[in-house]
Amino acid sequence: MPSRAERITDILLAILAGLVFIVLYAPLLISTLFSIVEVKRGQIQWETATLVWYGRLWENQSILDAIRSTLAVGVISVTLAAVLAVILALYVEWEGAIGRRLIELVVYLPFLLPPIVTGLALLVFFSGLGLDRNLLTVTIGHTIFVLAVLYRLVLTRLQTLPKSLVEASADLGASRWQTLRHVLWPHLRSAIATGAILAFTLSFDETLITVFLAGDQMTLPLRLWAMMRVGFTAEINALVTIVLVISIGLTILVGMRLQSDEVREE
Amino acid sequence: MVSLPERIILFMLVAAGPFLLIVVPIGAFLAMSFFRMENQQIVHDLSLANYAAFFSSWTYVKTLLLTLWLCAEVTLIGLLIGYPIAYFIWRRSGRIRTILLLLFVLPLFMSYIVKIFTMRSILGLNGFLNQILVAVGILSEPSQVFLYNQNAILFTMAVIFLPFVILPIYLSLERIPRSLVQASADLGADIGTTFWHVILPLSAPGTIAGALFAFVLALGDFITPQMVGGANGFTFGRVIWSQFGLAYNWPFGAALGTVLLAVALLAIVLGGLAAQRQKV
Amino acid sequence: MGLSLDAVSKSYGAQQVLAPTTLQVADGEFMTILGPSGSGKTTILRLVGGFTRPTSGRIGFGDADITGMPAHQRPFNTVFQDYALFPHMTVAANIGYGLMVRRQTKPAIAAKVGQTAEIVGLGGLLDRFPSQLSGGQKQRVALARAIVCEPKLILLDEPLAALDAELRRQMQFFLKSLQRQIATTFLFVTHDQEEAITMSDRIVVMSAGRIEQVGTPKDIYYAPRTQFVAGFFGDNNLIPGHVTGNGMVTTALGTMPIPAETDRRERDVMLAIRPEKVLLGAAGSGSHQVSCRIDDVTFIGAITQLRLRPAAAPDQVLTVKLTSDRTRLGLESGTVVSASLAPGDIALVEVS
Repeated sequence: MPSRAERITDILLAILAGLVFIVLYAPLLISTLFSIVEVKRGQIQWETATLVWYGRLWENQSILDAIRSTLAVGVISVTLAAVLAVILALYVEWEGAIGRRLIELVVYLPFLLPPIVTGLALLVFFSGLGLDRNLLTVTIGHTIFVLAVLYRLVLTRLQTLPKSLVEASADLGASRWQTLRHVLWPHLRSAIATGAILAFTLSFDETLITVFLAGDQMTLPLRLWAMMRVGFTAEINALVTIVLVISIGLTILVGMRLQSDEVREE
Repeated sequence: MVSLPERIILFMLVAAGPFLLIVVPIGAFLAMSFFRMENQQIVHDLSLANYAAFFSSWTYVKTLLLTLWLCAEVTLIGLLIGYPIAYFIWRRSGRIRTILLLLFVLPLFMSYIVKIFTMRSILGLNGFLNQILVAVGILSEPSQVFLYNQNAILFTMAVIFLPFVILPIYLSLERIPRSLVQASADLGADIGTTFWHVILPLSAPGTIAGALFAFVLALGDFITPQMVGGANGFTFGRVIWSQFGLAYNWPFGAALGTVLLAVALLAIVLGGLAAQRQKV
Repeated sequence: MGLSLDAVSKSYGAQQVLAPTTLQVADGEFMTILGPSGSGKTTILRLVGGFTRPTSGRIGFGDADITGMPAHQRPFNTVFQDYALFPHMTVAANIGYGLMVRRQTKPAIAAKVGQTAEIVGLGGLLDRFPSQLSGGQKQRVALARAIVCEPKLILLDEPLAALDAELRRQMQFFLKSLQRQIATTFLFVTHDQEEAITMSDRIVVMSAGRIEQVGTPKDIYYAPRTQFVAGFFGDNNLIPGHVTGNGMVTTALGTMPIPAETDRRERDVMLAIRPEKVLLGAAGSGSHQVSCRIDDVTFIGAITQLRLRPAAAPDQVLTVKLTSDRTRLGLESGTVVSASLAPGDIALVEVS
């Protein structure tokens, strides 16, 4: 039986958690509400409720362009980072590898450093090379930013693979490629997928690095930022609601996948 | 066995991408901090002039110190709220625990820009806070004190970075074997004693990690201060940002960025050492 | 012909896990490498399988030098200790893996897999996944997978270690008959003496990275050449002695002739004689007689074990095992009896 002190502690903690929950979810609540109804003089005008603003989004060319850019950057950078992460993880787990710790440090660096430093470093680097800033530079920036997440997940999964399975494959006559295809890939596949979704979620929302690398191009967060500076409209709230729902959906998907991995491990 | 030269070649092949795209840019950035501007042109002469200019200007040094103080406050608030919540989640069990964890980690992935603007609309002159306070009668008319000052930055950052504190603390709590907690209770310790002598020390690594996340993220943030801090909300990140924008002095901005980088690395190293001491 | 190891050694940094070792395995032989953990037995297996490269020496198979040949090119297959079944493949896919990577046609693979599954007694389980199998069934899948490609040599790394005693005895018998049926060389690694003796044509006994002795199970059991081997297989009586040069050995139990065909150089040795070879009472001709007092009698079911103290050397204990008898009169503590040691049953063990 929990003691009286424990019960009181739990009640206080629950109240705190509730308050924090409201503050943390305020963005979602407020933008959803204002995307549907109008507020005049502090009063919610329920009779104005409409979903028309969601439809209007599809007529706004600048928003559609931003969405397209964000998706393209996300898909390409996640793909590149996934390939790189698998190569790096395979290398680090290979018995003849040298410089393991160095590679890991470099891979984690963009994730550990303040994003402003990563963004500025790439900005200086690209301008030194004479590269114009556009979606390509954004894609490279996102690739190295999400690389750490993918690398970590792939490496962790790779380490759960018994070494004897790889040896058994070679023993039965499989070349390195065949072992990669028939043994390693099926084992890594779901970790790569989980990592890719998580990485895409990060790329989808990335702002602090992107702002230095985008030039005159706009990703969705940059477009939102530009729009919000002008002022809030129901249209913006509709867009924000969609963005938040996508992020939340992807995160829940990652959470469920990680959870089912854990169950399988047990 | 693969010979050493072959292993070196393989290493270089594998490491080429990360080195070219991560190490070289950071190197270029550090190098930039030793150059100087002349007639809107970057002159590639190496000197410590940018660092000298920074350390001899009280305005810049003061901004750095105030920013550090702000980050420390953000970290402290994060810990004071984040730890109890992580502990609360940890004390639940089964599905409720999983769902609670997800709920408090989810905001981590919610749009950063949206969070800042929501805070702005809550704190603003026509914002939620004012409307509620006026409606309840605490204020007779909407006040401007909530937005465009250091407190607005502090409050917004604390909210945005809170999930980054909760997650690592929860993960380190989860690693504490339940049997240890039961053993402590079994030996007659009440919940408070168990908390101070078993749970708190064992969750220290996660607590330190969470604090580091909040500190480093707050340190580098330049959008929050601009959006909710207004003209009064000058932080170090914003100063750097302006050197790469309006002020157009990349070498000086790079030097300031290097100072920021050094502070962040120092914090990470100190945190790492503290976490290691806890393990012993 | 067959497999040959020529002065093969393996070191990790400064630590030598296998001293230079020379060994021949004949075609069709069931050869067991036996030793405690850390004796280097698994190292030999991994070197032969091609999973590690020797630090020095040469590994040959037939006429070919295979020292540097990668594992996937060697005509050998391995049964791993943890079975190493691919968890995402069915039993059929696991068994057919070696054929699949050799790009055989699907019908050919299916036919061969079905055949092999019958041999190891897995018919009907082909669509299961490894997680749905019992330990014994996994073992059979691992075996089938190893034999399906008709390798020249099969390596088995403690394959029975994870099975319970009853299943283990069945599998020992099965493995031995399988080996006769497919007429393939087996190189079998184990730490279990009984397993080694019951299954092998020859045994390699290893200790601390070195070969102690190579021989048939009977050689190893009755004629151990080192103290380690003499002590490794069940009970043995070890008696310190000195070879005097004229074909005699002197011990605390008296002087007796040394076994025929042994080294006659003068040196210190140990005499080893199995407890069941020490006879009581009426001695055969040429046996050495020792007068002893019975110290202790233990009835262990099929056999009765006695501890004897020789009158001439009270510090030396002789253990004797007799077939039990409902009324073995006179065998009680304190009784004085005469023990006889036949020269043919004594082994000379070198003292290192």
